Amino acid sequence: MNESLHPLQFVYVWLRQLQVMTIKELRQLSRDRALLIYIIYIFTLDIVIAAGAINTELNQSKLVVHDADHSAASRELIYRFQPPYFSLVGTVTDANQGLYLLDQGDAMLFLDIPERFAATLGQGERAAKVQLLIDTSKATPGFLASSYSARIMADFSREWASQQLLRAGLEPGSVPIIQNQRRIWYNPTLDEAWYGTLAQLLTMITVACLLLPAAALVREKERGNIEQLLVSPLTPFQVMFSKVLAMILVTLVGTAVSLFGVMQPFFGVPIKGSAPLFFALTALYAFTTAGLGLVAATFARNSAQVGMLVLLMVIPINILSGDRTPLESMPLWLQYLTNVFPLRHFIEITFGILLRGAGLAALWDSVLAMTLLGCLLFALGLWRFRRQFG
Amino acid sequence: MGQTALVTQSGQKPVVQVIDFHKRYYKHPAVQGVDLTIRPGEIYGLIGPDGAGKSSLMKAVAGVLTFDAGTVEVFGINLDSEAAAERIKGRIGFLPQGLGLNLYPDLSVEENIDFFARLRLVSEAELAGRKQRLLATTRLLKFRDRPMKNLSGGMKQKLGLICTLIHEPQLIILDEPTTGVDPVSRRDFWAILAQLLHEQGITALVSTAYLDEASRFHRLSLLYEGRVLAEGEPDTIQALAPGSLVVLQPERQMEALAGLKARFPQVEALGSWMRVFVNEADPPTAIQQVQQVLAGIPVRTIYADEPELEDVFIALLHQQQLARHHPIKAASAETAANVRSGNGVAIEALELTRDFGAFRAVDDVSFRVRQGEIFGLLGANGAGKTTVIKMLTGILRPSQGAGHVAGADMHRAGMAIKQRIGYVSQAFSLYQDLTVVENIRLYAGIYGLSMADTRKRTEWILDMGGLDGHENDQAGSLPMGLRQRLALGCALVHRPQVLFLDEPTSGVDPIGRRHFWDILFDLSRNEGVAILITTHYMSEAEHCDHLALMFAGRIVADASPAEMKRQVEAEVGGLLELTTDQPTLAMERLLEQGYKETTLFGRRLHLFSRQPDSDRRRIPALLSAAHIEVASIMPRPLSMEDVFVYWVTTLERQESAVATGTG
Amino acid sequence: MNLKRLLAVAYKEWREILRDRIFFLLAFGLPIVLMLVFGYGITPDVENVPLAFVDYDHSALSRDYAQHYIESRYFNFKGYLHSLQEADGLLTGGKIRVAIVIPEHFQEDLMAGRAVAIQTLVDGANTGPARIIQGYADGINSAASGELQMSYIARHLGISLERAQTIIQPIKLEVRYLYNQEVRILWDVAPSLIMFILLLTAPMLTALSVVREKETGAIYNIYASTISGAEFLAGKLLPNILISFINAVILWLMVTFYFGAPFKGNLLFFFFATLFYVICNSSMGLLISLMVRTQIAALMITVVLGFIIGIQFSGMLTPIAALTGSNYVIAHLFPAMYYNTVIQGAFLKNLGLAALWPEVTLFVAYSAGLLGACYFLFHKRTRT
Repeated sequence: MNESLHPLQFVYVWLRQLQVMTIKELRQLSRDRALLIYIIYIFTLDIVIAAGAINTELNQSKLVVHDADHSAASRELIYRFQPPYFSLVGTVTDANQGLYLLDQGDAMLFLDIPERFAATLGQGERAAKVQLLIDTSKATPGFLASSYSARIMADFSREWASQQLLRAGLEPGSVPIIQNQRRIWYNPTLDEAWYGTLAQLLTMITVACLLLPAAALVREKERGNIEQLLVSPLTPFQVMFSKVLAMILVTLVGTAVSLFGVMQPFFGVPIKGSAPLFFALTALYAFTTAGLGLVAATFARNSAQVGMLVLLMVIPINILSGDRTPLESMPLWLQYLTNVFPLRHFIEITFGILLRGAGLAALWDSVLAMTLLGCLLFALGLWRFRRQFG
Repeated sequence: MGQTALVTQSGQKPVVQVIDFHKRYYKHPAVQGVDLTIRPGEIYGLIGPDGAGKSSLMKAVAGVLTFDAGTVEVFGINLDSEAAAERIKGRIGFLPQGLGLNLYPDLSVEENIDFFARLRLVSEAELAGRKQRLLATTRLLKFRDRPMKNLSGGMKQKLGLICTLIHEPQLIILDEPTTGVDPVSRRDFWAILAQLLHEQGITALVSTAYLDEASRFHRLSLLYEGRVLAEGEPDTIQALAPGSLVVLQPERQMEALAGLKARFPQVEALGSWMRVFVNEADPPTAIQQVQQVLAGIPVRTIYADEPELEDVFIALLHQQQLARHHPIKAASAETAANVRSGNGVAIEALELTRDFGAFRAVDDVSFRVRQGEIFGLLGANGAGKTTVIKMLTGILRPSQGAGHVAGADMHRAGMAIKQRIGYVSQAFSLYQDLTVVENIRLYAGIYGLSMADTRKRTEWILDMGGLDGHENDQAGSLPMGLRQRLALGCALVHRPQVLFLDEPTSGVDPIGRRHFWDILFDLSRNEGVAILITTHYMSEAEHCDHLALMFAGRIVADASPAEMKRQVEAEVGGLLELTTDQPTLAMERLLEQGYKETTLFGRRLHLFSRQPDSDRRRIPALLSAAHIEVASIMPRPLSMEDVFVYWVTTLERQESAVATGTG
Repeated sequence: MNLKRLLAVAYKEWREILRDRIFFLLAFGLPIVLMLVFGYGITPDVENVPLAFVDYDHSALSRDYAQHYIESRYFNFKGYLHSLQEADGLLTGGKIRVAIVIPEHFQEDLMAGRAVAIQTLVDGANTGPARIIQGYADGINSAASGELQMSYIARHLGISLERAQTIIQPIKLEVRYLYNQEVRILWDVAPSLIMFILLLTAPMLTALSVVREKETGAIYNIYASTISGAEFLAGKLLPNILISFINAVILWLMVTFYFGAPFKGNLLFFFFATLFYVICNSSMGLLISLMVRTQIAALMITVVLGFIIGIQFSGMLTPIAALTGSNYVIAHLFPAMYYNTVIQGAFLKNLGLAALWPEVTLFVAYSAGLLGACYFLFHKRTRT
């Protein structure tokens, strides 16, 4: 019918083919109730749950004290270990009991103040020793407990040092000191919800973009729809790209709902940079990841297999892209390897634009990498698809 | 026990007694008030298209499915609870639907059997003996170490049977054991089943979607949409819709067809032939009635034949007013203008060859299909039919050879071919979660139709397929027949000149199939569309103008159905049908006497004879010497299935002879 | 209970797992892959943090001060910057995570005995590391500040450095880290990964093995035969428990030998407790398999459940003590949290049955409950 078409007409038909195929994908998605509920869930409720999921701050660490001195100074020191970081759960009469409580996990810190603590401090001849035992079997809280205790101790120590200095004939104010003015940028109060919700959104976009187009393609393979499409004048490109296009639309709508409907109003997540730029790059990420999903789909024979393959890809991608542990902490070879994960670049982009207010100038390398990866993956999927069916 | 016992003990307690059985899935009623009685030693058949309720009934009898109303009694035990159902399971064997699906693909043949035996606590000593015997009977001995997934369809089916029989149950329940298997394997399966059941006195409940398998059963129930249409012995059912079948070859085909259709509800066009079922008429009256209708149209040949079960089935549906037949509209002026004149070649395959690695799937295949011709491609599973279609439709590149489809070169103008052909595949390949209209519009868009054309063609397809009123139903919710017509409609949305159909009617009920063929006939005759079709229903092969039979990737026969039958008759002789009350014994005698091509059909035997006239006298004498009484012996016209089975078995024999000769 | 039928199912299951390439990979490959991924992805300590200085002072002392950070293994020095704007750009682009700003007159003020304030600008986008980075910077700064004070006092009063130290730091805090002396996340999290991975794979295997037969219809072989529900369930469970237990051993070997986490406890007790944890998880998979119809659904449910429980409610990443409200209650509903206690106790604290018997008892009770539920949910005569 259209083998001798005018070029313009050819473009019109080509676009119309792509359009009907994309609408078909969206329609199918909207008919699958379980999938629809899942999509709504990941962009709304799941984000809410994630907001409260992870708490990296020290919270009411249980402290047990052995105060052998019973002096005003020792009580003053103990008094400084306060909530929210610490919580004094008891005192013991001998050190072994303290150790036992640590072993049992009933306490995390054990502060041991020896006899003559106040006296030694008053004399100023020797340093008064205080022992702090910390259960570091949980490393991060262990480290924070240690760090916060050191700060408490330093403040306490400084007050006694002033007395000593005066006694030695020095004005405390005339001793140099380097004060550390801590500034947290981009999230001054270290609100966990900002990072938690965004990281979850990225994870879920990744899962959806990998799974949905792959599952759709495999389902078409299983049901024989693909053969029907292949004997039609559609090109493999149109068959594959319509799925990607549908996925981009779903991702954009979902991200908008999540960002403007959940994260901004309820958790105060800021949008420091350009929202249009963020959405444009989200579309690019959806394209890249959907391409990877389609590659997976060409290797799977049925939905169960595609599920397993996606699982095998999604876990490494999410864990190794720097979404939990910062990239720089990983072995160097792994840092190079993870360059092939689109998510790694999209993490830079998302946190860059939304929290740090970065623009294209700062993110161009991530954008370039993602574009290249996207084209490569899509081409690979297309090549595998062609090879499989003809 | 055996079949002699059956007759004398027919008064004894039934093995299965089902009364007023109802089963629904959520809101959808599957079975509505079915009664069923199975006597000891019977092979009882449940016949009906997909969705008739066969599986639900069989699962309930096997005690693996709950039901909503009615009673099911097996071995006198009322299956009214899970605990009650457990009590029968030691004595039954159940083979669920789906070819080989209940077997374990990664285990070998032997491991599969061993598992079923151990599950049933068969002692190792007994197992060894039974396994040996069953493997020998089914000719699977040399495959005992082969993983089940590497077996052919027919072999999987036989392995399934062994696994069902390994604990020597008293009742076996086989759900569509022959679906998806080619006619040769099917015949083989029935022969083995009959032999094993006879030897062990087992009762069997077997379902099938193939109406022509009815003669394999002692008694049967015809099921349709959850109800029993008829039940009894095959002959009894035949008698429920008395009538005659008139077969004729008229001159002016379309005119004759139109006339006959107006008068008789059941008219089929088969190539240049026509079959008319005339209700409640004996053969001479029937011929007379047909000739009256055809007044003025010259008729080349006309004769009366015994109606087949399919004719009866449809007649019964008409009787009970369950048939919803859509008359085919004559081609409109617009489409008639589309008819390509002359005998232009629409499809031409020239020495097509396709290799998959070292395996040659298609070997030097050549044929031609003219405009307006219906061309049938027959062959067992794996004979290469689908590969040929895939090459001609441009899905698969041929390793060698050339082809022209709809005037375009296969190698150079793939896209042009795609624009000019339509394709309906084996499975329903439209989107089940889209509605009827959405599917049509999707394909209209894919073929680049304008909005105006899309509207016009949508209307045409709805009309042609009898889909009015279903426009906004999801395709998945339609009955099989409607779905297939929708698939056909979508394949025709762009008015292709050539239509490819790959087993399009599997699972479709007989009425649906006839309607489908009416449309195909109309397309070929009125619009000049060339149709290439493959099918597993040998009765459908008769509809084709021309047939090509494929075996191991090659075309081994290429002629019209009638010519093919003549060729086989010339080689092995005519077909005789023998009725006796001791068919198994009779068969043994006949095989001993050198009638090698003897097959068992329930209580009847089919055999080929070079001298049918003398054999008709000789055989009864021969059998009565062995105290076997012959009720009747009659010549029968060859069916396409006879032709197919003859060709394939002959070729298989040749091939194994060559293999042993060289090996 | 007929042992022969049970073993027939178990033996068939075992053969199938060994033969089916995909299932074999899922059974034995997936846990190893997951251990490598999580091992490299979750356990590294916050180290090599990219850091830059904005040194407005350009003095010997400011460079001295910077040296404290540059030499630390925690930081990866990226260079000196000219201005705050430049630091801003690099932080925004994610090229550095910390910038330390040293003000003008840094050396001059300190030499004159005045207080000086430096600024530590930490990228707070990722909150967890930000806290730790702050801790690192605090520690290094107070050490540098203390050194400076010491030498200043010693110089001014003409006393020894030790004496100066007692004056400026009259209290000496001796911190001892117990169980994880180097405070390494690896020692803490890597053992917990055994808990997490078994939580993902063990239920997946059992769930898939039953649902697969539901999908193909092979389950009808069971329905239509004389095998009892308990025999079938036990037959399915047995090989899958064995596989998951073998996996537990492999994972333990990887954690201790490949990732180098110390194991201080009693191996016999640890594997004894692990066996019961595996039974819990496999039973959980069995329960899921009785409720779903497709493999993909079984896969999704086991993975989603495993991730939610493992990440949020097991104590692996967020300590149970840090959970609040309903989350604290939810965590106590799943065996993962208790097994994590067992792991921590066995790996780092050398606790044995004497201390951890309540956990093991709980696994037994939990398994019994799950298997009881399976027994009542399994029907050989179904509705559909």
